Amino acid sequence: MIELGRLAVCLALLSAAFSVVMSSVGALRRRSDLIRSGSHAAYATFGLVVVAMAVLLRALLQHDFSLEYVAAYSSSTLPTQYVIAALWGGQKGSLLFWSFMLTFFTTLVQLQNRERNRELMPWVVAVLMVVAVFFLGMVTFITDPFERLPRPALEGADLNPLLQNYWMMIHPPSLYTGYVSASVPFAFGMAALITGRLGDQWIRSTRRWALFSWFFLSLGNLFGARWAYEVLGWGGYWAWDPVENAAFMPWLVSTAYLHSVMIQEKRDMLRVWNMVLVLLVFTLTIFGTFLTRSGVISSVHSFTQSGLGPYFIGFLLAVILSAGALVAYRMPELRNPATIESFLSREAAFLFNNLILVGIAFAVFWGTVFPVLSEWVRGVKITVGPPFFNRVNAPLGIALLFLAGVGPVIVWRRASPKNLRRAFLAPVAAGVAAAVLLSALRVPLGYAHATFALSCFVLTTIVQEFWRGVQARRAMLHESAPRALSRLVGKNRRRYGGYIVHVGIVSMFVGIAASSMFRVEVQQPMSPGQQMQVGKFTLRYDKISTAEDAHVSRLMAVVSVFQDGKQIATLEPEKRLYKKPQQPTTEVAMRSRLTEDLYLVLGSFDPKTQLVTILAYVNPLVSWIWIGGVILALGTAVCVWPSAAERRQEAFAMGAARVPAE
Amino acid sequence: MLNRRRFIVGAMLIAAAVSYLVYAGIRTTSMYYFDMDEFLAHRTAHVGEDLRVKGWVRDGSMQYDAATSALSFELSKQDGSQPVPVTYKGILPDMFAPGREVVVEGRYTGSALTAKQIMTSCPSKYEPKVEG
Repeated sequence: MIELGRLAVCLALLSAAFSVVMSSVGALRRRSDLIRSGSHAAYATFGLVVVAMAVLLRALLQHDFSLEYVAAYSSSTLPTQYVIAALWGGQKGSLLFWSFMLTFFTTLVQLQNRERNRELMPWVVAVLMVVAVFFLGMVTFITDPFERLPRPALEGADLNPLLQNYWMMIHPPSLYTGYVSASVPFAFGMAALITGRLGDQWIRSTRRWALFSWFFLSLGNLFGARWAYEVLGWGGYWAWDPVENAAFMPWLVSTAYLHSVMIQEKRDMLRVWNMVLVLLVFTLTIFGTFLTRSGVISSVHSFTQSGLGPYFIGFLLAVILSAGALVAYRMPELRNPATIESFLSREAAFLFNNLILVGIAFAVFWGTVFPVLSEWVRGVKITVGPPFFNRVNAPLGIALLFLAGVGPVIVWRRASPKNLRRAFLAPVAAGVAAAVLLSALRVPLGYAHATFALSCFVLTTIVQEFWRGVQARRAMLHESAPRALSRLVGKNRRRYGGYIVHVGIVSMFVGIAASSMFRVEVQQPMSPGQQMQVGKFTLRYDKISTAEDAHVSRLMAVVSVFQDGKQIATLEPEKRLYKKPQQPTTEVAMRSRLTEDLYLVLGSFDPKTQLVTILAYVNPLVSWIWIGGVILALGTAVCVWPSAAERRQEAFAMGAARVPAE
Repeated sequence: MLNRRRFIVGAMLIAAAVSYLVYAGIRTTSMYYFDMDEFLAHRTAHVGEDLRVKGWVRDGSMQYDAATSALSFELSKQDGSQPVPVTYKGILPDMFAPGREVVVEGRYTGSALTAKQIMTSCPSKYEPKVEG
């Protein structure tokens, strides 16, 4: 069976390479038979990778410990869902998983475009298969997941306990989905550059893919944050770790692209900029994979040093050089003489939003690679930590939040004083009122104050947009308010879906500002019966209880939580000792409410004296971040749902394409 | 044309602001990251500075008082030689144990390291050794 997996990977590599050659030669010579065999080879590659995945999954489920990968990442006592998660839990498996996603998306793109984009498609397939060749080459030659042990192990070493967690099941697949689907817009962009068909077609064909990729990057980042918050037990959710940054940078640039692409659709401007952003997102996803895999930068996540680094660097350079050369070659055709007419216009707001997003990405990039750069240049390693990232990004984030209020409501081209009054009178008033109220409530002036006030400003612009839209429909079409609202959103899904996404982002901003500025942290040793105070809560340590099963032994501190003299909860922060590998972990106990999370960590326990150390945090408004994530997901769903008009168009296009064939 | 020039100026201002934030951020928050050899060689030049030092927890040097959360141990080279005393107040990280590789972030007083944070990384975290 195992040999079948290895064979499938080798054949997949050959078939992907074959597809690259056939598709590109076919496109150059305009030979539809070659193009067709290139396309078939891409389908075949997907089939072969599926076989390889199935073989590895079967080996995991059957606990075949003669396989190095299975022995390293699972055990016979590991719960089944984590055995499945081990498929992407280790380096070798994750690269195979990556190839699987990539070939799967290639298949989807081919199916979507059977009757469309005939000029672009051969090149799209060729580019995607070049990427597949790279990853499958890694899987075949460098990190073979089907490697056998010299002697079969009796038992596996188990999945790292920190990864045995619900969020860890869904965090890596979401992130990989976001990473890998960014290849599709990249492939279309490259195809547009190669063929010189630089119009809107490639952008319209990949609009959904770009949004899809962005959405899963958002989810991946949020799930990762949630995992860190629940599992790592340091009271926070984001540590600016290189690997977190690696996932954050493509998200930032992808966000910039989703905005600037609207300017191209509306005013046919920024064609070069959009092309560069698409290429950059893909480059950053490869860079992110490189960061996690190479061990170049030390991080809590890092996979150990594994000779992958040079190959990734080589691939990265090849991508940057070829994409850069193509952009330079097509520059005369990409340029557009149209200019932005005024600073007071939507184009300008979007342009500045883009510059800031890319600026944040640049700052994060710089902070992440700084240790390596300083070592090269000066021979000493200099690191920067969270204070650097917070200090740089807080003001940029505030500027971004401000623009999120301006961009959607300011008019295109040039706003007149009358436009401005109409758009901004109420929102500015709301923002100022909020600022005054916050000062009256003694919220100190600073980033949190500014974030809250600006959030009111942004939310008011959004509410005003919905309100005016609904009122207009009611007045003109005599619809009831709920009907007017649903029609309004249904007819302008991207616009109103985008507003909903903005509400989610504002919610996250508020949660992040409040939880980072007003966190309370108390650490105290306690004997049974003793109490401690954290914020408005009183905690009483009652006793220690224990539990044990085949997999793990657990030690729980029973803590009663009081507020205003009344008991409101019992929390049990715990220490776990996983038996294999022998590793202690901390399990946080949380009482999560809209207003704040009470977050308890059992720091230490002394069996002789029954003394425990409890680390208690009150993190205000953290749930707003997760709620923001849910709103963001809803908004994205509204955006991508095909509108009635689009469905009609689609059906028409398919029908029209079929007619001559019949 | 006037407008294009004004926009380039606007964009340059944003780029300059970002660059300045990055520059100032690095100047005020960066710190040296030494391995044990580098630290031993250069430590006299960095008294009173925030540093990160990577070394090993020397066997038998670890003392932890649960009542006060006071930790003291010696950071040494992998073979246990050339130890430097470290003090820390706070909860022990899960992966902290004698013989482990750790990164200490803190200040060098001239004779000892006062740690603000201790970072542990298990070398076998993602690529565990297989017994077989």
